[in-house]
Amino acid sequence: MLRRREFHVLVAFCAAIFCGLFGFVWTTRVSAQSADLPPGPIQSKVQTACMECHDARIIVQQRLSKKAWTKEVDKMIKWGAVVDPKDRDAFIDYLSLNFPPDKPPEPMPRVSAKK
Amino acid sequence: MATTRRDFLRIVPSALAGASVLHPALSWAGSDEVYVPGKEGMIVRSARFLDLEMPMEVLKTWITPGPHFFVRNHMHEPSTLDASTWALTISGEVENPLALSLADLKKLESHTVINTLECAGNGRAFQQPHVPGVQWERGAVGTARFSGPRLRDLLHRAGVKSTGKHVMFRGLDEVPGKVPAFIRSIPIEKATDADTLVALEMNSAPLAKHHGFPARALVPGWIGAASCKWLTEIKVLDKEFEGNFMKPGYRFPNQPVQPGADVNPDDTHPITALSVKSIIAAPIANATLRSRAVHIQGAAWAGEADITRVDLSTDGGSTWQPVQLGREQSKYAWRLWSYSWHAPRSGEYTILSRATDSQGRAQPASAAWNPSGYLYNAIDQVKIHVET
Repeated sequence: MLRRREFHVLVAFCAAIFCGLFGFVWTTRVSAQSADLPPGPIQSKVQTACMECHDARIIVQQRLSKKAWTKEVDKMIKWGAVVDPKDRDAFIDYLSLNFPPDKPPEPMPRVSAKK
Repeated sequence: MATTRRDFLRIVPSALAGASVLHPALSWAGSDEVYVPGKEGMIVRSARFLDLEMPMEVLKTWITPGPHFFVRNHMHEPSTLDASTWALTISGEVENPLALSLADLKKLESHTVINTLECAGNGRAFQQPHVPGVQWERGAVGTARFSGPRLRDLLHRAGVKSTGKHVMFRGLDEVPGKVPAFIRSIPIEKATDADTLVALEMNSAPLAKHHGFPARALVPGWIGAASCKWLTEIKVLDKEFEGNFMKPGYRFPNQPVQPGADVNPDDTHPITALSVKSIIAAPIANATLRSRAVHIQGAAWAGEADITRVDLSTDGGSTWQPVQLGREQSKYAWRLWSYSWHAPRSGEYTILSRATDSQGRAQPASAAWNPSGYLYNAIDQVKIHVET
């Protein structure tokens, strides 16, 4: 069984070899990285729970009331987001604080040109 | 410590960032840049799942080129899809269940429909109060030439029983977590319409992966969600499919509701055809123009109805003038329009566009609010600054 560090090194090594040998580009994949979520006491847990399935951009573009964020968090938990029940309220507070209805819209990036 | 799938998902991006040192093609890894081959310049609403919006500056042609056609994915795209082994099954309330290969479908008579496809949530960003979902502005819409066998020909081969009332589509999207699969159905009457297709081509080329290769449903005039991508299963049902994306998803209140109010899902109906709508593509909102000669242009569509006129106001809605509609037209397809205007003086202006269709519908001053922001179609408006 691999330790995490060993696994990390193995993946990097395999990816490098594969890309180097075959000139490989994930032509139908896009960056799994995304805009960072703003700092906060629960930020890393929100990042982990939500980014399991989707991009942070889908969060940062929302402008919702606390009531609406509560519905969204509960829907996502029902759909498989792993949120410790004791963190649920902190998730809702974090999202409501950072992405409220009166915040200006988030500028969205464009798809980059081929380098 | 065992490595879980979750560990793997966290590790791979950083590993690829390391790999990018060795291969420049991967230099995006670990950055905020999004690289989607063939979709350069599109507005990224989400990279995962992929949701790309057409910027207004490229809306200049009646047929939208593939690179500018919006992408709306609810789930992950199929990670592997081998066209040589792919099959489309037809089952349910039919006499002869079928399994058809891509080669089988290509042998059938092909029909072409030029269709304006619009995401039901296009314009959601303009809803007040705001509603959750992809915050599309104007560009989750495009017009393409779709070709493939008629769905009704396939259903005829399978022999639909008298009990068949709805036709369900399932695609090969990969569902994360416990998210319900993206499965929807359409009534048998629309499924057997002569223009409803199993599309294999878009703009005379095989469907691109982001647009549903190798086959997608094409339900013309209806919201994009009806036109299931990566189609692999058609099932004839004795009633409407009951699933998240039929209820509570993609439904509209039966009565007007106060903005922000809760809506009982039992007092809603499924969204089908698109509304009457026009958008202003140029000038771009908040543009500063250095000439008083202003070329205004846009597009207008109305789902299953035809656009009969588009009126424009350059004084914030006090007076209206009809625009010139583009020559190119086809049932289900948008009309481009244009208007040449000479601004009387430097200053701030609000330009409005209002479409009217063959059913007598006109764009309202404000769209009917609903909890998911579907079918936003308020009179479009852009503010510009003329400075000469």
